[in-house]
Amino acid sequence: MSEAATSITPLGAGRFLLNRDGRQRIAYATQAAGATWVFLDGEVMVIGAPTSSTTRTTSADDQASLAAPMPATVIAIAVQPGQKVAAGDVLIRLEAMKMELPVRSPRDATVVAVKCREGELVQPGVPLLELDET
Amino acid sequence: MFTRILVANRGEIAVRILRTCRVMGIETVAVYSDADAGALHVSLADRAVRIGGAAPAESYLSQPAIIDAALATGAQAVHPGYGFLSENDAFAAACAAIGLTFIGPSADAMAKLGSKTAARRIAESAGVPVVPGAVPQDQSDASLIAAATTVGFPVLLKPSEGGGGIGMKEVHAAADLPGVIAQARREAEAAFGDGTLYVERLVAKPRHVEFQILGDSHGTVVHLFERECSIQRRHQKVLEETPSTAVTPALRARMGAAAVALAKAAGYANAGTVEFLVEGRGDDASFYFLEMNARLQVEHPITEAVTGVDLVRAQIEVAAGGRVPWTQDQLTQRGHAIEVRVCAEDPRQGFLPQAGVLALYREPSMPGVRVDSGVVEGGEVSVHYDSLLAKLVAWGENREAARLRAREALARYPILGIRTNIPLLMRLLAHDRFVAGDLDTHFLETEAASLVPPDAPPSDDARAVAAMAQRVSAATATPAVDSSWDPWTSLGGRRV
Repeated sequence: MSEAATSITPLGAGRFLLNRDGRQRIAYATQAAGATWVFLDGEVMVIGAPTSSTTRTTSADDQASLAAPMPATVIAIAVQPGQKVAAGDVLIRLEAMKMELPVRSPRDATVVAVKCREGELVQPGVPLLELDET
Repeated sequence: MFTRILVANRGEIAVRILRTCRVMGIETVAVYSDADAGALHVSLADRAVRIGGAAPAESYLSQPAIIDAALATGAQAVHPGYGFLSENDAFAAACAAIGLTFIGPSADAMAKLGSKTAARRIAESAGVPVVPGAVPQDQSDASLIAAATTVGFPVLLKPSEGGGGIGMKEVHAAADLPGVIAQARREAEAAFGDGTLYVERLVAKPRHVEFQILGDSHGTVVHLFERECSIQRRHQKVLEETPSTAVTPALRARMGAAAVALAKAAGYANAGTVEFLVEGRGDDASFYFLEMNARLQVEHPITEAVTGVDLVRAQIEVAAGGRVPWTQDQLTQRGHAIEVRVCAEDPRQGFLPQAGVLALYREPSMPGVRVDSGVVEGGEVSVHYDSLLAKLVAWGENREAARLRAREALARYPILGIRTNIPLLMRLLAHDRFVAGDLDTHFLETEAASLVPPDAPPSDDARAVAAMAQRVSAATATPAVDSSWDPWTSLGGRRV
């Protein structure tokens, strides 16, 4: 009896029976945020997501980007327009979900403009300040 | 006994408290912010009262709003859960002033223990060892630097008020202090409204071992053994277990006696936790009092799992004037329990918190596993609150049995739509050092490279499942409209 090496049977409500060479596993999958999310044995894989290379450098510890990584509240602005900053300097402190998220300068530069205010709820992707060109 | 209790919290702990109230035949009142109108805890209560805006300061931290809700609904007692107002002695006093029972310690005991410096003095007076440290009366940078130099580097800089690791900083050299002081002070002020700082010697490779205690208003205090909480990230616990692999019967007896002595010295009633740092392992280990948490702890279910008690029920009984329901001799530890905290955060992005909709969320159910959660499928994880979604507690006859159950349960715990730390928890539970019980509070930091999931491309199996899911989704989106679509022919690989 010849059978496809892999078969997948939808079981409904996001459950799938995965059979590879006769070995069965339950997987879960759903569409969310423009991608397909799959859960298999404790691992999560997101397929067809917008490339994550832009977010790879951000982290809760060290924001290389000058935008919030997620919706967050501005708790402190540490710089003013005209101020010279060094790579790694904390420019703005954000808070989200009880965590402080520092926004650091990616390089030595001069602050051109601050585009947020303390207490403001800011959205991801929107630059919080402008640095001069290198 | 009370006939109606207001639960002044949200998320998993509100749900957990509501469930015990139901079992006791006590009516419940939930409170909620605008962000939580559709939350699980709201739908599980007999009554629900909106108390304000999404920001905690406008709702779950608003004392007048919560007291008004209690008065309006005729609640006789308030259970504060953990976090929010649970360790706010002014709130406890405000409740007492209007005849509302605060289910927790007295405002007086809370005030004494809430301050780390006062708690240290109580510990010293009760003969409980403390970590060498100092709190400068004058909080200038110069005095803090002098105190740190006296204590000896490395030091830990901590807010005098509060807990949960917020504002706590490790400092390895005097030169680093000024910058760190400013940040610690700001975080302490933001979180606790008091920027007073305290300096303590940093214990090398310490374990964090805490003792659960329960006291009543008649002067009885018992302990319910230890919880090992060494697996932490930035002082936020990630995994807790009991018994501790470092604690022997002789050490347990010494530490338990110290915890009870401290609670008695503070005149403590209700549930509380005495935190210790343990240096070394076994009979000869040293332990130092860290602080007392005057509330129910996040990780209390592992104590419930090995002792078989309901701590929330006991809290309610002693708050109503009852006695501690067990003698020390009646309390025993059976088997082993491990709790993992399932959080909406992405370990691969520096543990960045994740907010959004839980597109798919299914809790595992299997022997020896308990899931305390405050979320449902389709619910939204808000940016306004912390990232804890659920606690998964596995019990087993021994540590290995509990570990294997925890791992299997996580492998059957799909959460999709936002990233969680489940892949990291799976790796943690399989890590050689964890399996061997070789833990210290730096474990997560030291072993991060092998715990953070790699940025690998999806497996062939995952791609195949995704492709099928996309086809099923497309078919559902256009039901029976496309006559050329026939599931029996187009779903390649589907087994009929």
